[in-house]
Amino acid sequence: MSCISGTNFLCPINVQQCQGLQKAGLSLGVTSSASTSQIARLASMAEHTPFGGIWVGEDIGRIGDVFVQASVASLNAPTKKIGIGITSPLVRNISTIARAAAALRELDPTMFRLGLGVGGLHDLQKLGIRLRNPASTLTDATQALREIWAGKVLTFKAQSLVLDRFQARYQPESNIPIYLGVRGPRLLQLAGRIADGVILSGPLPYLEEVVSIIRNELTRHGRARNFSIVIWLPTLIVHNIRDQELAKLVAATVIADAPKAVIDMADISDLAIEHVQTAAKNGGYQAAAKLVSAELLDIFTVSGNADHIVDVFESLAKLGADEVVFGPPYGSSIDNSINEVVEAWGRS
Amino acid sequence: MGPVLTFGLGVNTNQALQDVLERSVIAEALRLDYLWVADSPNQLYGPVVASRIASVTRRVRIGLGLMSILLHTPRQIASAMISLSEAYGDRFDLCIGAGDRQQLQHVGISIDEARDLRSAILAARRKIASYMHRAGVNARIWLGAQGPKMLGIAKEFDGVLLNYSKPEMIRSALDKAQLARLQHIKIGTYSPSYVYIEPQPELMTMAKVSSAVVAIGASAMVLREFGLYEDLRKAREMAKGASALESILDAIPDWVIEHFSITMTTDQLHMYLAELHKLAVSHVVFGYPQNHSDETVRDLGEALERSHFKSEKW
Repeated sequence: MSCISGTNFLCPINVQQCQGLQKAGLSLGVTSSASTSQIARLASMAEHTPFGGIWVGEDIGRIGDVFVQASVASLNAPTKKIGIGITSPLVRNISTIARAAAALRELDPTMFRLGLGVGGLHDLQKLGIRLRNPASTLTDATQALREIWAGKVLTFKAQSLVLDRFQARYQPESNIPIYLGVRGPRLLQLAGRIADGVILSGPLPYLEEVVSIIRNELTRHGRARNFSIVIWLPTLIVHNIRDQELAKLVAATVIADAPKAVIDMADISDLAIEHVQTAAKNGGYQAAAKLVSAELLDIFTVSGNADHIVDVFESLAKLGADEVVFGPPYGSSIDNSINEVVEAWGRS
Repeated sequence: MGPVLTFGLGVNTNQALQDVLERSVIAEALRLDYLWVADSPNQLYGPVVASRIASVTRRVRIGLGLMSILLHTPRQIASAMISLSEAYGDRFDLCIGAGDRQQLQHVGISIDEARDLRSAILAARRKIASYMHRAGVNARIWLGAQGPKMLGIAKEFDGVLLNYSKPEMIRSALDKAQLARLQHIKIGTYSPSYVYIEPQPELMTMAKVSSAVVAIGASAMVLREFGLYEDLRKAREMAKGASALESILDAIPDWVIEHFSITMTTDQLHMYLAELHKLAVSHVVFGYPQNHSDETVRDLGEALERSHFKSEKW
């Protein structure tokens, strides 16, 4: 039984879970490979909509400064919360992340959130960065950031970061929420223990499981109240075959980078996934997209008409998401797609 | 019309951002040509501060730097420039270099372990220029340099920013690197500055501290050439340990510090600029603490306005 909203698209979240719905916050997602002028335009557009926030994701290894873009977004959408979702301490010195976040927080003291993660495996590989221990990388980074922001003189010697009697000279700012962008069970538990929120992405059945892992961890540590679960999936409005092909391409890209632990937790056919991953490796994403079935499409993307997308968002809220994010890739017309989702959200 | 220099104000990103923005607006109204936004590991992130300044100003050029190639990758530096230019137009210059030895050490980066720094800076320059070119971004790239070795690569840049102020030091550096004859390179200086009508003791101390930091971090070769090395030896050793700033300052004679700062009255400024102009310097940046308050920015702007070195066009 699926959560159907008059579309032909399958929502794999059980329909019973959609009953007694808790509405989540809706945010707009952009990524740093978009031009800054486009981000400024979308932020201005978001300012006049029910979007509660804007998340700017870092496309690691591509051109675009995620912190400048977040600054531009906040200038164009002054009433919206702005988040970096995510940047990695493996690609920037921790002092750079600390002072960029502090600068963004300083002018909008309650509006900025910092998302941290290790980054996509393929992206790190391309940059020649070896990922050794993601849990200690994120633990150390989170601790170092908080101590830097508190104005402490800090000496820190860890595998992924070194500070030697370092002290920030800007105004101390101890209140920047840190969201971890994580996927595996160990890192999810870590987020529940040390972070202010978590940014989740992955196949829909996997999300059902991980939200409960995090909620359990939060309950165990008495932290459930001040913690936010953000779910950010590739979302796009589908009107025609071309849009559908784009959706499959997006799904193929996501599947190619999905870690085995995530696939296992989602209980998806290994064979179907393996076909797509092999095709992506040998023939590129276009070739892999041809192997994406309707089922895989619905598992790895939120695609369909606007009402369907909002239905899935509401299902995610029922699962326990506090915030859901629309876009990218949005759809063939970005502006129309955003407007359609905003309208559907208003109707819901 | 008299000879033309361009003038910049160094933006200190330790200050509250709101103050930085207010002073940037004043500097633009006083027709300063540039605002230079520093990017040191212990200060707010330069590109974000530059973005905020660009949002409250319209015409002033914004220099980003010095951006250390040991702290940021060429792609990251280019990304900052491209994102800024996409949002605010071609109003940005970039200054790259190695960065401050001590500041980098505090964040786990050793200049001494960096192999062939000059080649690394040149390679970074090429990559950054290439990324910006592909993105259709036009920006001048300056080299932040001090010692004769580093100045040897200055001809590959659009300009060079020297961080000392004494005319004889500047002359010597330019002669050795044969830069004054090269028309395509802009020669600039960027020093801690306090140009005043009536000196304020607190600001005099700030200027002394800033200049001492530059002096202590200066290239040993430069210090030796100008007979400053022995006078700074003790302070340099103290700075490596955990000595208090006051005792380090006490160990540096005032006459040494004067080599690294522009500390003078508004009336003396004209003569000083005339000397720099004779040396083919075309850009002068007044660093911290000149941007300490609205008043210190105004005093500088009005003094420059009175000097006939200010461009009529803007």
